[in-house]
Amino acid sequence: MRNLNKHVVTVATIAAIIIGFLIAVQIQTKEEADTAAQIQSKRLAQIKSVTESLTEKNKKLREIQEQLNEQINSYREKNINNPLLIEKLNELKMSDGTIAVQGPGIRLKIQDSGQNIDVLFPINTDDLRRIVNTLRFAGAEAISINGQRIVFCTSIVMSGNSTILVNSVPISKIGGTTYEILAIGDQTVLVDYLTNLEILPLKQAGMKVDLTKEIVTIPAYKGGYTFEYAKTIQPSNY
Amino acid sequence: MQPNKNIAIGLITLCLLAIGFFSVVLIKAYYQHNKADDVQEASLPSLIQLEMENEKLTQENENLWEELTKLQAADGAAALASQQLEEASINACLVGMTGPGIKIILDDSREERIAEAGNYVIHEEYLSALVNALWNGGAEAIAINNQRLTAHTEIFCSGSYIQINGTRQMPPYHIVAIGNQENLKSALQFYLWDKLGEYQQLYGITRKLETPKEPLTVPAAKQFTFKYAQPVKEG
Repeated sequence: MRNLNKHVVTVATIAAIIIGFLIAVQIQTKEEADTAAQIQSKRLAQIKSVTESLTEKNKKLREIQEQLNEQINSYREKNINNPLLIEKLNELKMSDGTIAVQGPGIRLKIQDSGQNIDVLFPINTDDLRRIVNTLRFAGAEAISINGQRIVFCTSIVMSGNSTILVNSVPISKIGGTTYEILAIGDQTVLVDYLTNLEILPLKQAGMKVDLTKEIVTIPAYKGGYTFEYAKTIQPSNY
Repeated sequence: MQPNKNIAIGLITLCLLAIGFFSVVLIKAYYQHNKADDVQEASLPSLIQLEMENEKLTQENENLWEELTKLQAADGAAALASQQLEEASINACLVGMTGPGIKIILDDSREERIAEAGNYVIHEEYLSALVNALWNGGAEAIAINNQRLTAHTEIFCSGSYIQINGTRQMPPYHIVAIGNQENLKSALQFYLWDKLGEYQQLYGITRKLETPKEPLTVPAAKQFTFKYAQPVKEG
């Protein structure tokens, strides 16, 4: 009887200490959680408002860009009437990528994430550069990646560890991107080179690849060119 | 004895129940806390992307404004036409350029090949990665072995030589880039440049960087012939 009492007292004491401790921790956590929740909701509200204002700014900038392009085009049409000059100018603009072009070509769709796609390493900038190089080798006349026209000074680089920049514009989206590469040229040659050189390794890596022959429209390069350091050697012939 | 034992067991059961209850409450609170953090972290990258896109758009619009101002200022149709033709031919890399810049020289190793043969030669990946870094660093014109790099230039390995603009190029490779020397130099601070330095030590390849005081030149490219593409209005 005395023995049992002693045991009960010991166990009860230990249990009481643990309960006390837990109550203390719980109260503290609750206080912490309350302040944390407050800060959290404040931050979330801030992020939301910043995102909203940025989205609005984005929309406005796009509208302005459209208007500017319209005005510039109307100026050009009004002022240059010589068909020979227009043809030459168009040829040059197709070369420098500042005019949208249409023609027979290919559409290459690559998915490195999503349902039923199990990829260890997502597509990287080396892959994209290699595909562009192969398309150039196959004689592609115009190329774009997710709406970004490939021009002479295009760089394809990573920003941070998840965003791919083409022409300094982010083309990848958080949570998975479908990469869409368009090219104009000899369809048979383009398909042949892509199939033999590029598609197999991508498929082996587990990506979903889709190549179709199509009439494609490739957008113009919108970055603009600036030559701050380079000067022309001789006056051009035009 | 009997009632005492019952009370003891009851007491202990009650205590243990209380402990279990508080543990669950604590664990729950902890997880909720973490979940809220996740939501916040996920929305940050898209915010940064949006900001970058806006910056880019602002810059593009500035360029368009500049173009529009020029168009408005141009005196008469003829002047406008010739000015536009000249600008377009510069943008299409059809005019030779000169200016400050840097020169990179890469060459195969002449040492006896004892380790992996691949490490003794200059590969086309090195050239395209370096060129990509230079464009990213703001290069305005680049030529490799006097072949001007355009929107249509391939840098393609064909066995013993590298094909550039449809021509066969052999080492040594001279990469000339025109632009801000400091920016171009710092654009080269990436892993491949260091790796090539290592290969220079280990296998004897050449990796040389020159930043001459006098201006460098790059030649004009040939006009590309279009067979399939037609200009269209964007809409």
